[in-house]
Amino acid sequence: METAKYLFLFIIFPGFLFTALVGFFSVWVDRKVTARVQWRVGPPFLQPLYDFFKLLGKETLLPKKGSPLVFLAAPIFSLMAIVLVSTILWVGIFWKQSFIGDLIVVVYLLIIPSLSFMIGAMASGNPLATVGASREMKLIIAYELPFLICLATAILKSGASIQLAVIASSPVIASISGALASIVVLLCIHAKLGFTPFDVAEAETEIMEGIFIEYSGIPLALIKLTQAMMLFTLPIFLITVFLGGMNFSGWGILWSILKYVLVLVLIIVIKNTNPRVRVDQALKFFWLYLVPVSIVAFLLALLGMIYGIAWL
Amino acid sequence: MNANILLIPVMLPLAGGILCLLIPKKVRWFREGLSILIAALSTITAFFIFFREIPGLHYNFLEFEKFNLHLDMVISPMSAFILLFITGFVFLVSIYSLSYFSHDNNPKEYPAFLLFALGGSCGVVTADHFLLFLIFWEIVTVSLYFLISTGGKDATKGATKTFAMLGGADGCLLLGIGLCWFMTESFTISQLNIPINGWMPVIAFLLMMTGAIAKAGAMPFHTWIPDASDSAPPPVMAVLPASIDKLLGIFLLVRISTSIFIITPSLGLVLMIIGAVTIIWAVMVAMVQHDLRRLLSYHAISQVGYMFLGIGTMNPIGLAGALFHMLNNSIYKNCLFLSCGAIKKRTGTTNLADLGGLAKVMPLTFTACLVSSLAISGVPPFNGFASKWLIYQGILDTGLKGSYIFLIAAMFGSALTLASFLKVIYSVFLGSKTRQAEKVKKEVPPAMAVPMLILALLCLLFGVWYALPLDNMINPAIGTSVVVGGSWNSTMASLLMAVGIILGLSIYLVGRLRKSARFVGSFIGGEKLDSETGRINGTHFYLTIKEMPFLRILYDFQEKGFFDPYNWLGKLGADITRVLRKIHNGMLSWYLSWSLAGIVILLGILFFT
Repeated sequence: METAKYLFLFIIFPGFLFTALVGFFSVWVDRKVTARVQWRVGPPFLQPLYDFFKLLGKETLLPKKGSPLVFLAAPIFSLMAIVLVSTILWVGIFWKQSFIGDLIVVVYLLIIPSLSFMIGAMASGNPLATVGASREMKLIIAYELPFLICLATAILKSGASIQLAVIASSPVIASISGALASIVVLLCIHAKLGFTPFDVAEAETEIMEGIFIEYSGIPLALIKLTQAMMLFTLPIFLITVFLGGMNFSGWGILWSILKYVLVLVLIIVIKNTNPRVRVDQALKFFWLYLVPVSIVAFLLALLGMIYGIAWL
Repeated sequence: MNANILLIPVMLPLAGGILCLLIPKKVRWFREGLSILIAALSTITAFFIFFREIPGLHYNFLEFEKFNLHLDMVISPMSAFILLFITGFVFLVSIYSLSYFSHDNNPKEYPAFLLFALGGSCGVVTADHFLLFLIFWEIVTVSLYFLISTGGKDATKGATKTFAMLGGADGCLLLGIGLCWFMTESFTISQLNIPINGWMPVIAFLLMMTGAIAKAGAMPFHTWIPDASDSAPPPVMAVLPASIDKLLGIFLLVRISTSIFIITPSLGLVLMIIGAVTIIWAVMVAMVQHDLRRLLSYHAISQVGYMFLGIGTMNPIGLAGALFHMLNNSIYKNCLFLSCGAIKKRTGTTNLADLGGLAKVMPLTFTACLVSSLAISGVPPFNGFASKWLIYQGILDTGLKGSYIFLIAAMFGSALTLASFLKVIYSVFLGSKTRQAEKVKKEVPPAMAVPMLILALLCLLFGVWYALPLDNMINPAIGTSVVVGGSWNSTMASLLMAVGIILGLSIYLVGRLRKSARFVGSFIGGEKLDSETGRINGTHFYLTIKEMPFLRILYDFQEKGFFDPYNWLGKLGADITRVLRKIHNGMLSWYLSWSLAGIVILLGILFFT
């Protein structure tokens, strides 16, 4: 019975199906806002769904060099991990209880999509994909350090608990350190999503989608689905850990949705108004600028903890 | 059950080792058969010991006033499971070695000293008398020296360095034991329980910790592992520095920090700092290595940091995490070195730049290596994640708010580990083939593949059902049952992951992949590249990081050997001997006056005391 409940949570709601649908909605928002920024009309509401099903029907090209099996398996693993993360986060939001894992588990699971993309890219045997994969890994190293420091700040602020439900119930952002950390994590999430200015791993104009260059047909559809889900799940992660979580009673519904749309639109606007950086610039940006900021946030939170000042 | 059973895993391998050395070089099958048989018997005995209650063993040997040497052996829950894994690893590696060593290159010493190492390490975990403990500890060190030497002439330098560093650290251990005896006048390990107050217990603790650090390979006494790996056969690296030495070093560290001494929080902090520095710096160095063996050995160092971190937290969860990580690390590290050996066997090289595209011809090695790489990087649901997660819980439980720094260091360390292993996976198994890799036509023989796959399977089992080793091995060893603050329902997560994979596969089915698939060459924007120029060398993946402003200086120091105590102490030793050499100038009058001065000093001491 317990297992059946978990399976329902994972496959239907709030797991695979729910995440996919809202993910497609987020992709539509992304494309629409981008179009408006560029003075275009933008696609119809169901366009992401059409794209997905069209890709399913297309021919799939497999690499002659490299290992096709790993190449095909990689998108499946990325999909699985992001669905799991989404389920963990949403069960925490809806039922205020821990499900499967805590914050540390989520942080580790969030690496798996990028990891599978990289392994798939390397398995394609294409040198451009390899360049993309090595850049993606360097980007992960770059953003992971400030990301972890800010998460430690959030854990400090919410009373040394790593249970998602507990962290969600304390609005970390309502303090100086929390606000600094939220900004840093927003940029880290931006890099996790692979959006400009941190789209070094895809870099259409120089390495032609980099890690995804060899993908087509069904595996590409899976990758698009995963990316759509990430566009939905990562802002939810930010909201859960830093912005006081979501609340679905009374006016809370509106406020929660507003939070999500705000974060989403912020990400999209940053994406559309910045040029791409080189990978060494990204590394320097994260390590030389964001790491000091997050250390300051961490120290402030520590001071606030020791002297009992909540707003620090 | 009779207590004499404790002697079997110790004495049988030692006797077998001597027999192996006696029989002529030509009778290879006998030597190898004997080593496998003895390892198997020891494993079976270890199983018995693990599942039954075994009383301690006590034979009076020698007694001289306060000083005594007894044959005391006792089995604790901790030593029981470590014994099981030591014997198991030696058994697997001796099967592996059957195929690894070819007909014309099978050093006679290898099976003999493998058995010596087995007997010695079983002795270390069961000994209850400090001198006995030290004797077995030295047997392991000496066998390691000879095992590394089986790598041929080039291995001499690494073997000497290993022996010098471990020997020096063992000297520290001896001094520490001496201090313990001075304080308590007892050599029985299980009776000791020294509270740390005053300088003498602190010094004794630090000296014994040095012995544990060098054996396990944490900073700063880690440099012997990469140098030994340069030319030692990979199975040797797999069995000793990667697994058994870790088990023994951490076993000693846990004993001295939980039962022999009652340590203070400040010493715990020292352990945590050593741990965090080791994790980060060793993995940073590993990332930029060009040789698979050196890379793996730096990771062997980095992983020890997690165990030190766990022990330094001084709470049951952290300790359980450390012990569990010790176990997991020895499993996946063993597997990684064995797959390194498989690659060397087939291609004849471990240089990452010369490898590539082996996944298709060596699918079993690839699977084993991929699984253990994911496990060491702490990807859920493999075993590395479960133990790291426990250690993180331990860090959060210390109550020290500043300890979050260690949490950040440890978590960041696992991202760097992932980066490093991605480079390995790419350079060795994926990517396009090099000339050396073209020669490989088939997978390694089953005698080599099966041990790797067993270890890889263990990585998965211990990850998915991590409660199993935790309840049966770790919790009895630390005496309390661990209460965890967070949650990680690994079994359910794995089930859901499996469901997710089925979902993904069904999307492939819906799209009718088999009908629509077609094989094509790579698209490189219309360029035509041959496989040599179109090849990206995996060794250059992280040059960007090496060239970061501050890190460049550190990497420079590292390459010049600045962080190697062996160089420093070696220079110091050379300087001291230079001074001493001046005294020995061959003139009789000088020697006489030195002797006279010595006698005067001795008389003076006798007179005043």
